Amino acid sequence: MFDGRLLWRLFSFKDKKIIMSGKKFRLWDLPTRLFHWLLVMTVLAAVVSGQLGGNLMDWHGRIGLLMLGLLVFRLVWGVLGSTYARFLHFFPTPSRIRAYLSGEWQGEGHNPLGALSVFALLGLLTAQVVTGLFANDDITFVGPLFELVNKALSNRLTSLHQLISNVLIGLVVLHIAAIGFYGHFKKQKLLKPMITGWKEGDAVSASGGSFVALIVALLIAGAAIYGASGAWLPEPPPPPPPAAETPSW
Amino acid sequence: MKSKLLLALLAVTLTGTATAQVKPEDAIKWRQSGYAFMAWNMARIKMNVEGTYNKEEVVKAANAIQAIANSGMGSLYLPGTDKGTGWEKTRVKREFFSNKEGVGKVAVAFVKEANEMAKVAAAGDAAATKEQLGKLSGTCKACHDDFKIKDN
Repeated sequence: MFDGRLLWRLFSFKDKKIIMSGKKFRLWDLPTRLFHWLLVMTVLAAVVSGQLGGNLMDWHGRIGLLMLGLLVFRLVWGVLGSTYARFLHFFPTPSRIRAYLSGEWQGEGHNPLGALSVFALLGLLTAQVVTGLFANDDITFVGPLFELVNKALSNRLTSLHQLISNVLIGLVVLHIAAIGFYGHFKKQKLLKPMITGWKEGDAVSASGGSFVALIVALLIAGAAIYGASGAWLPEPPPPPPPAAETPSW
Repeated sequence: MKSKLLLALLAVTLTGTATAQVKPEDAIKWRQSGYAFMAWNMARIKMNVEGTYNKEEVVKAANAIQAIANSGMGSLYLPGTDKGTGWEKTRVKREFFSNKEGVGKVAVAFVKEANEMAKVAAAGDAAATKEQLGKLSGTCKACHDDFKIKDN
C-alpha cells in the first residue's frame, strides 16, 4: 500500500537526525524547491512557445495554466508552508529594508531586497497568467477564458500581456545577476540551498508545512487550474449544420 | 477645336483620378475586412483539425485565404493611412510605411504559406493541414510582431 506519510518523511525537515551538529540547517523545504524549478521551466517554455507562435500557441496556453497552478500553490504555501517559505517571514517592511541597507539586518532566507524581487516576480507572473487567460493573438489562438470578455477588452489585456513579458524578462535577468553578485562579492551561495534545501550556517531549521498543508495547497492549486481552464464554461454553440444543409454558395 | 481637346484631356484626367482615388477610410475598412474574413476561415480550419475533419470545409476556407492573400491588399496601404479609422481605429504601425523591405519579406512569406495551405487542403490530410495551419499562422505573427500596434 502507498503510505503518504512514509513518503513525506523522506523529505521531512522535522527529522532531527539529519541535522548535523548545527553547521547546516534546512532552509527551503522540498515543495518550495520543486515549485521554484518547475516555475523556471514553465517560464522558459512559455517564453519560447510565445515567441515562436504557430502551433506552439496551444502549448503556450497549457503551460500558462500549469504556471497558474504553480503560482497559486506558492501563494498558499506562503501561508501554510515551512518557516522560511512564509510570506510573513520575509515580508519586506520599510524598517527591514532600512535595516538591510544600513547593514544591520540579520536573518536567513530571502533578505528584504531579495523579498522585494520575490514579490515583484510572483505578482507580475500572476498578472501575466491572468491576462493570458483572456488574451487573443488575432490569428487562431484565444486564452481559455476569452469568451468571458469582449474583443476590445481582450485586446487591451493582450497588450498588457506583451508589456509584462518584457518587464518580466528584465526582472529574471536581474534575479540571476543578483545571485551572481551575492556569490561573487558577498560569498553567499544562494543557488545551492535552492537545490539541496540545506544551507551552511548556524540557524534554526525550517519547521511547519505539514503533509496536510501540502495536500491543501495542491487541492487549491488544482481548483484554480480547473477554474482558469474554462472547462466549466457552457458548451460552445453546436457546430454548423451538416454539409447537406449548407447552401452551396 | 483646341478647347475641345483640352476639355477631353481634362475629362480623361478627372475620370482617371476618380477611379484611382480610394478614400483612406475605405482603404482601412477594406483591409480590416480582409483580415476579419481571413480570421473566420483560419478559425474554420482550426475547428476542422481539432474536431472531425471535413475536407470540403477546409478547402473552402483555405481557398478564401489564398484568394485574399493574392488580392494585392498591399495597395490598400495608401500613404497617410497609418492613422485613421475604418471599422475601427487602424492598428498598423508607422514602420509599415517606411520599412518596405521588412514588409515585403513578411508579405511574401504569408502569400507563400497561404498558397501552400490551399494545396495541402486540397490533398485532404488532417495532420498535414494542422501543420500547415501552424506555419501559416506563423507568418501572420511575424507581421503582427513587427507591424501591428499592441496597445489600442
